[in-house]
Amino acid sequence: MTTPHHEELRHRFDEDLHSIRMDTVRLGGLILENARRVSEAMLENDLDLGQQVLAADAEVDKLAAELERHAFETMALQQPMAGDLRFLVAITRMVYELERTGDLVANCAKAHAHGDGFALSPRARGLLAKAAKASSDVFAKGIEALADMNPDAGAELDRYDDTVDDLVSEFYTLLPTESEGSGLENAISLSRVARYLERIADHGVNVGQHVHYIVRGEFPGDARAAD
Amino acid sequence: MTASERTDEAEAATPPVDDGARLARRVELPDRAPPHQAAPVGELVFDVRDLSVFYGDFQAVRDVALPIRQNQITAFIGPSGCGKSTVLRCFNRMNDLIETARVRGSVRYHGVDLYGADVDPVEVRRRIGMVFQKPNPFPKSIYDNIAFGPKIAGYRGNMDGLVEESLRRAALWDEVKDKLKQSAFALSGGQQQRLCIARAIATSPDVVLMDEPASALDPIATLRIEELMYELKKDYTIIIVTHNMQQAARVSDRTAFFTVDVRDNGQRTGVLVEFDDTGKIFTNPGEQQTEDYITGRFG
Repeated sequence: MTTPHHEELRHRFDEDLHSIRMDTVRLGGLILENARRVSEAMLENDLDLGQQVLAADAEVDKLAAELERHAFETMALQQPMAGDLRFLVAITRMVYELERTGDLVANCAKAHAHGDGFALSPRARGLLAKAAKASSDVFAKGIEALADMNPDAGAELDRYDDTVDDLVSEFYTLLPTESEGSGLENAISLSRVARYLERIADHGVNVGQHVHYIVRGEFPGDARAAD
Repeated sequence: MTASERTDEAEAATPPVDDGARLARRVELPDRAPPHQAAPVGELVFDVRDLSVFYGDFQAVRDVALPIRQNQITAFIGPSGCGKSTVLRCFNRMNDLIETARVRGSVRYHGVDLYGADVDPVEVRRRIGMVFQKPNPFPKSIYDNIAFGPKIAGYRGNMDGLVEESLRRAALWDEVKDKLKQSAFALSGGQQQRLCIARAIATSPDVVLMDEPASALDPIATLRIEELMYELKKDYTIIIVTHNMQQAARVSDRTAFFTVDVRDNGQRTGVLVEFDDTGKIFTNPGEQQTEDYITGRFG
């Protein structure tokens, strides 16, 4: 069966949708870069780098606000339906997820700066490095799923997220010893950072699920990542 | 399965003067249940199966199957030439008025074959009223526009009461109660359309068909008609053809998307692509063709 006129309509709308998607990916990329820099700052005790990450969060917030405005304006002016509507609604949620991720990255930098850097045993340092990398990787996969509009990244994301959760749990078990060695305040900061890393990965999983929703019209299974 | 090639010269909007004989020989169409024992919402009013419509050799619509349910608003959407108005006209046998038109398939109305040989199309049109794209009041007073149909149909009750009730239901009473004797043409376009709706419901129909009822109206008059439809669906079953997708999304419970199927030989026929809850159609349609149309990607 064919439809009558196969002329393409709505170029301006398509351009809006495309630029909203690319800007969201760009926002994700910016946050990912900050997440990787903050891990380096924490692991290398580089306080200057931590400050740069904190300063960069302002750019994240600005871009997020601009994206949200663009998505709302497009909804108001173009009356999106069906897949377009799902895309724009999902984008406004994803922008929230991304903006929160940016805050979590900044929180890592703040926790690190709070005690003028962390005191880490070699074992804790090794685990923190693994957890930070795994967390950034999950987030990166969520952003990739959005860039490729790949609805099937979800299953893989869940697996990676389990790794993050395991690493973070293991990290928690070290904290009493760390506390004895380098003080309670340092251990509390480290536990906060571990929690932030876990949440960053969760937001990456959520982004992947929103992509599934955009493409398939429903969330994967019944289980959405717990908030 | 019913074949009907009958034509009828009666004007749909104007009941014929000598109606008594017709009513006398009409087949018993099931009565609309009184309000206190109204049929449950969602009961089948029309059951359309394998419906095809031809104009001479030209097949305008092919194999449409649709259930239309009680006290719901069903919207027909689709590009020009997709057959949505043609299908709408099958519900009150308006296609009978086109000499070359031929209907194949079955349209059952409360279980009765609407195209049965002994069904009187005029009685059908009393049960199943119609409102057209352009408001078409009679060149008469506001009052007489409403009273005309019931009078012809032999209504013996309180005519003033019926006129008021019909105008109230059409949300027009307050605007016209002091000028009932004035010509209907003195009203605005939106008011004229509501008058036509009042006229359609004055004969106590079961179903109201609306063919682009708001496309000639400004946005505010359009919203008034939509509000009115929402009120009317408590008492009537409504089918609306509209080019305005947002209108279908706003007012209807169920939406049918039709399109034009173009064959290799260039023959163009209207087909039903998808019929579902309006919320589903506009957020997550099942067919790519529906998605392309409602997102405005293909006309």
